[in-house]
Amino acid sequence: MQGTDNKRKAIVGLFILIGLIILVVAIFTLGSQKKLFVKSFSVNVVFDDIQGLKTGNNVWYSGVKVGTIKKIQFYGSSQVQVFMNIEEETHRYIHKDAKASISSDGLIGNKIIVLTSGSAKFPFVEDGDRLQVNTTLSTDEIMKTLQVNNENLVDITSNFKVLAKNLVEGKGTAGALLADEKIAENFKTIVVNLRNTTASANKMALELDAFTHTLNTKGGLADKLLTDTAVFAQLQRSVNELQKTAKSASVLTENLNQASSKLTKPDNAVGLLLNDQGTADQIKAIMQNLQTSSKKLDENMEAMQSNFLLRGYFKDKAKEEEKRQAQEH
Amino acid sequence: MDKNPETSTVLKKEVKSPGKLTRMFLTLYEVYQFVLRFFKEAFLPPYEGKELLRQCYDIGYRSLLLISTTGFITGMVFTKQSRPSLAEFGATSWLPSLVAIALLRTLAPLLTSLIAAGKVGSSIGAELGSMRVTEQIDAMEVSATNPFKFLVTTRVLASTITIPILTFYTGLVGMLGALLNVWLSEGTGATLFFQMALESITFLDIIASTLKAVLFGFTIGIVGCYQGYNSSKGTEGVGKAANSSVVIGMFLIFIEEVISVQFFALFRS
Repeated sequence: MQGTDNKRKAIVGLFILIGLIILVVAIFTLGSQKKLFVKSFSVNVVFDDIQGLKTGNNVWYSGVKVGTIKKIQFYGSSQVQVFMNIEEETHRYIHKDAKASISSDGLIGNKIIVLTSGSAKFPFVEDGDRLQVNTTLSTDEIMKTLQVNNENLVDITSNFKVLAKNLVEGKGTAGALLADEKIAENFKTIVVNLRNTTASANKMALELDAFTHTLNTKGGLADKLLTDTAVFAQLQRSVNELQKTAKSASVLTENLNQASSKLTKPDNAVGLLLNDQGTADQIKAIMQNLQTSSKKLDENMEAMQSNFLLRGYFKDKAKEEEKRQAQEH
Repeated sequence: MDKNPETSTVLKKEVKSPGKLTRMFLTLYEVYQFVLRFFKEAFLPPYEGKELLRQCYDIGYRSLLLISTTGFITGMVFTKQSRPSLAEFGATSWLPSLVAIALLRTLAPLLTSLIAAGKVGSSIGAELGSMRVTEQIDAMEVSATNPFKFLVTTRVLASTITIPILTFYTGLVGMLGALLNVWLSEGTGATLFFQMALESITFLDIIASTLKAVLFGFTIGIVGCYQGYNSSKGTEGVGKAANSSVVIGMFLIFIEEVISVQFFALFRS
């Protein structure tokens, strides 16, 4: 009986002990999570609007939880003073010109206070210091800006709706471009032409490239022109000679010009022949007389051939002629 | 004063049968007297330490397995059922916080107390009821033993002590059940789970839960003892006492829960 009692005592004792251990562990874990058992110092900030911040909310520094909100009270006529407990450990990171702003732990999370470290030229923050406020955009202000954006978006979509409708109906230049088949055909042709032109230009560019390549070939004309001084001297000489020739040609032309101008005047023999009618008639008469004379001479020659004195001479000449032709064949 | 129950019943009948409202007020007065007597007996020596230990063993330790199992299943099922709602917002990472708030603020003390009301309350009511109808209590009075101190005070104290302890167990085991479910579904580790869970819990939650558990434990003990100690009508009275202990105990637990939630909400603002 005594043994059973002792066993019961032990079990009940263990049962209660474990239960209390659970409670104590929970309290200490919660305490460490809430930084209750960490040595801390207090700073305060005066905000115009704390946006629903509550006692127990967290204080973040560089994204790390360094403390909690200890107390919130009204300050002056409408401002709110927030007291924060900050871990002693972070004392050497936060300077006196550090700024505090109210932010949110996620989009719909709890409100938090975010601290910035401040500049190194200021001393470190001390217990009871008041930090400056860093004004940030509140959710309401963000929502207001978003609302303006929304209204603009509505306007844009309305305009785009009208634009799209006009495009579909073929109104305006852009609409015509999309809806008119003729323009489309023209455009297609333009594109084809452009393509051909581009191809030609390409080909030309290739040829030009080949040409310039040839020009640049060592020993070529262009190369020599550009590089060989002897060729240049020869060219210079050629050009000089050409200039001389051109001068001679010019003198010749001048003389010819003078001669031709004399041809039009009747004060010289050729000009008289070409221009004077009387001289022409006289020459014509001379020519007629010559013709008549030659005809009569011809007749006289034929008569001479028939004359017995000269007949033998002509017969011998004819025979020699026949003989020469036979030899040639 | 005639202490004989039969004589007093005859006298009551002779005077006048009281109305329902009067009976209710009379019962309330009796309950008040009963509670007052408990506090008197609890703080005045001699103390029944041995009997208190036995009751702690019966009420606390023997209920541990049942209550822990229920707490584990509740934590797991609650997490599983809450997931789709949070998943709609892509906020399944908030499950540990949600479960911690639900379990540690309300479910742990309430669940423990309701199960204890069923198991312990009925057993106290039936035990004391059968002792009353078999006149064992009267025999104790005759033998100069204070039956109230020995039977009632020890049981009420035992339930008041052990129900909060059982609540701590339920809270821990329930969170382990939730952790198992979250680990299986999201792969969240124990460290992150408990860190996130405790992030949303305050000391007020733990204090409130403990105080509620104390109140619920006291209610279970006092209701069971009152029903059993004042039972009558033979074996039928025993059953009635056991039944009333559970029904009234559970009902009062819910009423106390509603009031305590409102009360502790005053400290949260």
